[in-house]
Amino acid sequence: MAIELALAGADPDLILANQKGLIAIGAGLAVGLAGLGSGLAEKDIGSAAVGAFTEKEELFGKGLIMTVIPETIVIFGFVIAIMMII
Amino acid sequence: MLKPKQMSRVLLVGHKDVLEQTIEVLHSLHGLHIEEYEDDGYFNIGKPLPGAEQDSKELLKLRSISSFLGIGEPYHRPVDAKQLSSGLEEKLEALDSTVSDKLRRKSDIEANLKDVETKTHDIKPFSGISIDFDLCSGYDSLQVFSGSIKKGVDIETDLKKITSEYQLFASNTGVILLFVPVRYGDDVSSLLNECEFAETKIPEISGVPDVLISELKSRHDSLTADLGSLSVEIDSIKSQEEEFILSSEELLAIETQKKEAPLFFATSEHAFVIDGWIPDDEFTAMKSRVSEATRDRVHIALREEAADEVAADDTNIPIEYDNPKIVKPFEAVMNLYARPKYHEIDPTTFVFIAFPLFYGLILGDIGYALILLGISLYGRSKLHGEGWNSLFTVLIYCNISTLFFGILYAEFLGFPLAGLNGHPGLIPGWDTTFLFYGLGGEHITYPIHRTHLVTTLLVVTLIIGVIHINTGFILGFRNVLAKHGMKAAVLEKGGWMILQLGIFLLLFGMMDIVPGMLPGAVIFVLAVGMLIAGEGGTAIIEIPSILSNILSYSRLLAVGLSSIGIAKAINIMSEMMWSSGGVFIIVAVLIFILGHTINTALSVIAPGLHALRLQYVEFFTKFYDGGGRIYDPFGYNRTYTEE
Repeated sequence: MAIELALAGADPDLILANQKGLIAIGAGLAVGLAGLGSGLAEKDIGSAAVGAFTEKEELFGKGLIMTVIPETIVIFGFVIAIMMII
Repeated sequence: MLKPKQMSRVLLVGHKDVLEQTIEVLHSLHGLHIEEYEDDGYFNIGKPLPGAEQDSKELLKLRSISSFLGIGEPYHRPVDAKQLSSGLEEKLEALDSTVSDKLRRKSDIEANLKDVETKTHDIKPFSGISIDFDLCSGYDSLQVFSGSIKKGVDIETDLKKITSEYQLFASNTGVILLFVPVRYGDDVSSLLNECEFAETKIPEISGVPDVLISELKSRHDSLTADLGSLSVEIDSIKSQEEEFILSSEELLAIETQKKEAPLFFATSEHAFVIDGWIPDDEFTAMKSRVSEATRDRVHIALREEAADEVAADDTNIPIEYDNPKIVKPFEAVMNLYARPKYHEIDPTTFVFIAFPLFYGLILGDIGYALILLGISLYGRSKLHGEGWNSLFTVLIYCNISTLFFGILYAEFLGFPLAGLNGHPGLIPGWDTTFLFYGLGGEHITYPIHRTHLVTTLLVVTLIIGVIHINTGFILGFRNVLAKHGMKAAVLEKGGWMILQLGIFLLLFGMMDIVPGMLPGAVIFVLAVGMLIAGEGGTAIIEIPSILSNILSYSRLLAVGLSSIGIAKAINIMSEMMWSSGGVFIIVAVLIFILGHTINTALSVIAPGLHALRLQYVEFFTKFYDGGGRIYDPFGYNRTYTEE
């Protein structure tokens, strides 16, 4: 009840701005956390891939592919963020 | 264009008398990929032609000279091979004697220098002691201690308690020389140990340390001067003989290659057999030239059974790309992944279209496009070699596409060129024109403002993804069709295409664009059934990957937006500094230049890698196996010589 009362007295513009801010934080979290996830996955694959292609140079292409596969996670995060903002 | 060069397997059989001529012709044709003969007991492996040993010895000598002189790979005008080979041996002999003389002198000087340095190192601790090293050893009644003790300890007071018969010398470096009668030896030794005595070996040289050190120093100086003048001499030889060394090294390498070629052939007592692959379009030329050179004494035949072999297993056939000149640079991109197999479609042409397109779509900025075009044009003219050439040509294609999209987006280093909603652009008076409405009520305009068109562009990128991926499936359909027949092709590749149709119908059903979700569901189930029949149960696990593959194309927008974001941040920061005036103007210029330099570097890496990844991961996995053998024809790419 108290919150409703407080809201009733508040400036509608302020409420709107607040909501926008929260959405922006949400979008930021979606991209940021997904990015962290991608990073964590890629660091292990990347080091293994570098190890592999120093031994055998032909593996560069395959190593690159393996390394960038988790990158899609952050793209999903980005899509979600965009959908939240618009 | 879409297939590697067609190859035929040929056999050349002839008498050993014409072996040399045959090798000569094959080498100059540079077209036959020779299959090495493995001894099966019936034939023997051939012996090198006469003179091979001599040539490889000379080549070895030349290479050691070249490595001693430190010769790199500069560009020289090619010299005439015949002229070169006539006087090669004498000239090489002379060069070898000069160089080995220099080499000997150099190693002598270096050995002396080393000796001087070791001696100086040994004597240095004793500097300041005015006693000949001869007098430091060889006594019966005296014991000599030489070494360093703890700093600041006055040893003499304690020493006097033991005996007054002693002689003590101290050097500048803190090393002491102490002479005591043998009978006090043990006492003195324990006293020294208390003072943390560490022994320093007395050098076995005669002379007073300081005199020796100054002698050694002057010797060191003169040796260094000698070495300096010697390296000037070596440099002059290098610049004089560089061309000769490079061209004759090439000449000898070619000669050795020719003379050692029989090691790959099968031979009997009188005949030889050469087995290899040749591109179909070069076969007639080879046949006529070999016949002409050997007066028809070599029998050349296509191996018929090879055709069946080819159908069964194509991993053994060497692969040579067959692309138009404009597409060629992208073969480097293919090689990074894998060469196509013989019966596969060679996707270089598709990469040639899609890679620059995606790159431009992501970057799309006139400023960066011009900078990178400049860099790549300059780099291509300065750096030679096939790798560099391909890299810069690919960059040029990519940045032409970037320039096109830059004009479409009207962006220059992150600044919009046209004004929008009352914000002026970089070009005064040019305002954005409204064309029509896009998705979600967004305004489609010219120029396109990517930051204001996110929904529409997101959908556009996904459509590009669907087109690209399905191109992959169509190519895959063709590959499976050629290898395993119609049924497998429809089930394996067609299944995926129908699955997408099902997914889209379901989505449209959800959005009420088509009535109900039933048709979509039916097609979806049908497609899953086809996939399970074609690829087995594991296909079910793969189903979500089709969605992630398509969504992955949204990076075409995402990476571009991040690039704009960085450029805008740089521009805002430098604008803020600029408006402060005074010294801050310099800071503003610095931020602008440094920031855009970093973003230019990122503009190669980020769009490049993402565009590449879309080819490798999303596109190639739909149809491409790769793993073909490299076509390495018998012959030599001459750089420093010409025939």
